[in-house]
Amino acid sequence: MKAFTAFCKKELLESVRSFKFLILLAAFTLFGLMNAMTAKVLPDILNGSDLGGLTIQLPEPTAMDSWAQFFKNNSQLGTVVLVIVFCGMMANELNRGTLINILTKGMKRRTVILSKFTVAAALWTVAYALSLAVTYAFTFYFWGGETLPHALPAFAGPWLHGLLLLSLMILGGACFGNFFGTLLLTGGVVLVLSLLNIVPKLQKFNPMSLAADTLYLLSGQKTPADFIPALLICVAATAALLMGAIVLFDRRQV
Amino acid sequence: MDILSIKNLTKSFGKTRVLDDITLCVPEGSIFGFIGENGAGKTTTMKIVLGLLQADSGEIYVCGEKVRFGMTATNRHVGYLPDVPEFYRYMRPREYLRLCGEIANLPRELIEKRSCELLELTGLSGANKRIGSFSRGMRQRLGVAQALINEPKLLICDEPTSALDPVGRKEILDILKQIRGRTTVIFSTHILSDVERICDRAALLHGGKIVLNGTLTDLKASHKTDALRIEFATAADKTRFCENAAPELQNGMECTETEITLHARDIAAAELAALQTLTQHGILPLRLELLAPGIENLFLEAVQ
Repeated sequence: MKAFTAFCKKELLESVRSFKFLILLAAFTLFGLMNAMTAKVLPDILNGSDLGGLTIQLPEPTAMDSWAQFFKNNSQLGTVVLVIVFCGMMANELNRGTLINILTKGMKRRTVILSKFTVAAALWTVAYALSLAVTYAFTFYFWGGETLPHALPAFAGPWLHGLLLLSLMILGGACFGNFFGTLLLTGGVVLVLSLLNIVPKLQKFNPMSLAADTLYLLSGQKTPADFIPALLICVAATAALLMGAIVLFDRRQV
Repeated sequence: MDILSIKNLTKSFGKTRVLDDITLCVPEGSIFGFIGENGAGKTTTMKIVLGLLQADSGEIYVCGEKVRFGMTATNRHVGYLPDVPEFYRYMRPREYLRLCGEIANLPRELIEKRSCELLELTGLSGANKRIGSFSRGMRQRLGVAQALINEPKLLICDEPTSALDPVGRKEILDILKQIRGRTTVIFSTHILSDVERICDRAALLHGGKIVLNGTLTDLKASHKTDALRIEFATAADKTRFCENAAPELQNGMECTETEITLHARDIAAAELAALQTLTQHGILPLRLELLAPGIENLFLEAVQ
């Protein structure tokens, strides 16, 4: 437990001193600002612009437009930022050999994996919560408070999807030991899942649907029960990927 | 007691057999020079001892406990200094030593105490800047400090001086000398003068096998092909000596213009015979020198 805490502190210090945490906070705060602003301002811009006689008449924006931006930005830009910040968390250590001193001090390899995941998940949670809070604050300011149905499962979807990506990047790092191998694996899996999400029958089971589609819980177009299979698969896959990373790393010659 | 014992260790990478059935023991308290040319398998051996690489066959015991790949139980007895130690560059030395101490499960007060002592020992007490800005020599010294944080019984140093300038080399060797007696040290290198400077035992790894192993004194004694060098004032004196030397001296004689080197198994008898020849023929040499075998010759001879 002492080694776990010590390595978590090291991971936190690293994220602060290498500006990863700052980048995460800045990016997700910016997304939070963009969500409500875009929803509020975009219709005015389009309505007011001269498109050579073509008139676009968009309806008056609502709070739901702001939340739609939130889910879209998180699933697209948010994923990109998350991957850039965390892709090297395991790979760089193996590539540079910084873990050799640590492992030869008696640190269990699984502790490395678990502490890295814990800190990455904590940072992701803070960044995601910040983005959510900023979006909520601006949405409240522009459109006032309105009750959001199934808010908890709706907002838990993208968060769980983020955790899945983190575990995937840890597995990629333990498997390939370099940044680009990890990036290729993560990008490949995201691409495949995105393609599978086009097939309506598979959407129900696809963890990718948690990234953006839980918006339909807020708009009342879907119910939480619709997402249960994808949610279970997402949680199981996160656990399985972490287990896989532990097994792979235990067998890895460093 | 042997602090490290390696039995019939074999390791291949693809079709290349790097270690071929090596057996080696390191007694407690020694400074053990593990010698071999680049690519001989020194790092591979050390990494197997640390459980970082998996052996194809063979057994390793540290302090009597069996080493298992990936399992680090025996590493609590061991400190390791890699050839190019890599650190978290954003950390300061004291922070890094604290991390190492916490991972080694040392109490906080002991970590602080050991950190102070080790930073003092390695001359880094005043270096309170980020490790990223350290010179290579400073990083190597911090490497020694981190390896010693848990007061290991065995310190494994992988070519600690190879990449350093003479000043850096001397600093590292001085640190290793200072810990002699408290910690057994295995010190891999291809710099033979470093071995002669600090080691009391040595083994030579060549072609995947241990071809020499023992105390430096024993190694020198058992591979004695001592030589006697005589320098003459003129070439004529040298020729006269060669013409009149006893037949047993003639066999192992190497000549230059004014110098001869005599090789013999019994160097005392050869020296006596040479002195007799010099006296009998009234030849006065400029210099008569007994050449003790250097470790370099010893190892060159072993690998040929």
